[in-house]
Amino acid sequence: MTGENVFQKNYEVLICKELFAGWVEGLRDDFKLIGPVGDGVNAEFREIASLKEANLDYQSTMLPPGKAYLFKPLEEIVLFNAGPGGVAAEEPPIPVQKQVLIGVHACDTHAVFYLDKVFLGAFTDPFYKARRENTFIISLNCKTVTDLCFCHLIGTGPYLKAQSGYDMLLTDMGGEFLVELKSERSKNLFNVKGRPPEAGDWQKKDEMETRLLKSFKKDFKADGLRQVFLSRPGHPVLKETAEERCLSCANCVMVCPTCFCHDVYDETDLSLTRIKRMRRWDACQDYFFAQVHGGNFRSERQARLRQFVFHKLDYEGQFGLKGTVGCGRCIRWCPTGIDLTEIAEEMMK
Amino acid sequence: MNPYLPFKAGITGIRRETGDVRTFRLELKNGLPSGAPGQFNMVGYPGVGEVPISFSLLPSKDSPLFEHTVRAVGRVTDFLAGFGEGDEIFLRGPFGRGWPVNEVKGKHLVLISGGLGLAPVRPVIQMADQLNAKRITLLHGARDPESILFETELKEWRKKGIDVKLTVDEPGEGWRFHAGIITEIIRPLKIEAAETLAFICGPEIMMRFSARELFLKNVPRSNVHVSIERRMRCGTGLCGHCQHGIWFVCKDGPVFSYQELSGYPDALL
Ligand SMILES: Cc1cc2nc3c(=O)[nH]c(=O)nc-3n(C[C@H](O)[C@H](O)[C@H](O)COP(=O)(O)OP(=O)(O)OC[C@H]3O[C@@H](n4cnc5c(N)ncnc54)[C@H](O)[C@@H]3O)c2cc1C
Ligand code: SF4
Ligand code: FES
Repeated sequence: MTGENVFQKNYEVLICKELFAGWVEGLRDDFKLIGPVGDGVNAEFREIASLKEANLDYQSTMLPPGKAYLFKPLEEIVLFNAGPGGVAAEEPPIPVQKQVLIGVHACDTHAVFYLDKVFLGAFTDPFYKARRENTFIISLNCKTVTDLCFCHLIGTGPYLKAQSGYDMLLTDMGGEFLVELKSERSKNLFNVKGRPPEAGDWQKKDEMETRLLKSFKKDFKADGLRQVFLSRPGHPVLKETAEERCLSCANCVMVCPTCFCHDVYDETDLSLTRIKRMRRWDACQDYFFAQVHGGNFRSERQARLRQFVFHKLDYEGQFGLKGTVGCGRCIRWCPTGIDLTEIAEEMMK
Repeated sequence: MNPYLPFKAGITGIRRETGDVRTFRLELKNGLPSGAPGQFNMVGYPGVGEVPISFSLLPSKDSPLFEHTVRAVGRVTDFLAGFGEGDEIFLRGPFGRGWPVNEVKGKHLVLISGGLGLAPVRPVIQMADQLNAKRITLLHGARDPESILFETELKEWRKKGIDVKLTVDEPGEGWRFHAGIITEIIRPLKIEAAETLAFICGPEIMMRFSARELFLKNVPRSNVHVSIERRMRCGTGLCGHCQHGIWFVCKDGPVFSYQELSGYPDALL
């Protein structure tokens, strides 16, 4: 039996890294390539010409790849033209650029599943939908974890277990990548021949995962928070943390891969004939976020911090998914190191 | 379909209700809007913005026109106040889950409103004949006699068999009804708790105390429905502004049973 036949049956293959890089470069004719550039936790997903520029050993990025490339920070959602015949509304062009996100970690892949629930739910966002359909996601199992990662407690990593919702899964096996094809389009697109994995390869993968699982530093009981949270919304740890340390800078929300809130506002050009209705990432940490005429539902800083912590660790009933994927970004990028898992632990005491 | 794309509505009439409250009678340029009592539109104008406004009257078999009753309090609503008959405004929707009118059959329906809160309740009164309620009571509170909304319609509502009770904070000369807060006219109400269904709309603190009166009468939490207000930017569960606990007030509400809202922080309820 040739390797090709086995591969077609199983959609799993081991290939050397150079071959994989070559295949990725070949996608450039049709896709924008977006991959992690830079080291450690300070990498950044940006457009690359080839995998040589990318660092697939990166640990984390400030902005999550899914949110940054599927849900733009600033975007036109309606255009208005004012003319002699009155004002007419029109739909801005729907994005058509195809892109590949290369090396998306398990947590960040799960975050895309969360954004899908938001933007492809009861109401479909046409811009997100178009980008999502035009985005080929190559996920990557982690090789290392950081001190702040807690995906193992949420069930979103460090190895990706989902079988659909993305296109391809890579595991670094040393000189080779184990490539697992997870979508129909990846089966059509991936035409590289390689060696079919044997029992020993799967065992090696399992062993690497087990070893990685042992290296996590964070540990808290992520289940059962609901009872604790809603029965003690005024817990002193919230008040103390908010008043003594939180700056309401909203870094935590901006870097969060599942935070989807945005503001909507109108921009009129100088001729007063073209108006753009825009959306822009917004944050529940902002004082005005929950303000209405006659009051503000979260005027207190502790109320805003609580909204973030509860939305991430509880409120699972909203979409049937936890609001956190355990990536640790909100902790890392908080200027005063506020850690939602520590708040949760304190509340559970 | 782009859920952000608004459509035009023509203003066919404007009624000045009280100082800063106007009712806009509207006609859709293209076809009939659907809509249910308690639902809302995002109403606005390009370059200014959009805000949630509940239907205060729905299109019916008698008329394709519908109404929005708006208090001018800020950027968008002040702008709307400058409009006249024949002008066009932009709408999206209808959005949200309205009053559970299907549950009214055979029940005593108690409508409780404070101030502008009567506007979202009016479509329920509009369809009172179709509800098959055992009894309908409307308890309405306003600041003073001048700010009672839809005053000219009260007689008509009474003719429909609705028991209308009013109260004002500042009665002034010649006021024939109760003076005081809304709870004072809820308290004497004779009801059978299990057969009572209440729809409440008004300032959140007023809804809280009104609901409490009903709970004291043993009305179950699941029978008490309130329409709540939160900041809204999209109306479609996308922008996140209106979140309250697990709910998106725009798409899961704005009408909720007290049961559903219980236990979440950041509310007066
Ligand atoms: C479901 C629902 C139904 C409603 N139905 C009705 C109705 O039938 N009739 C009605 O009149 N109203 C209704 N409302 C309320 C109405 O939506 C608000 O009054 C409206 O949004 C006010 O918008 P505005 O642009 O006029 O005011 P804004 O300019 O938004 O101002 C409102 C208030 O918020 C403050 N504010 C807002 N943004 C900022 C900011 N960035 N910085 C500082 N302060 C800020 C302002 O100081 C002001 O006091 C409803 C609301 C909801 C949620
Ligand atoms: S990043 Fe930290 S300081 Fe800034 S709003 Fe979030 S919790 Fe507060
Ligand atoms: S108004 Fe945007 S989510 Fe409800």
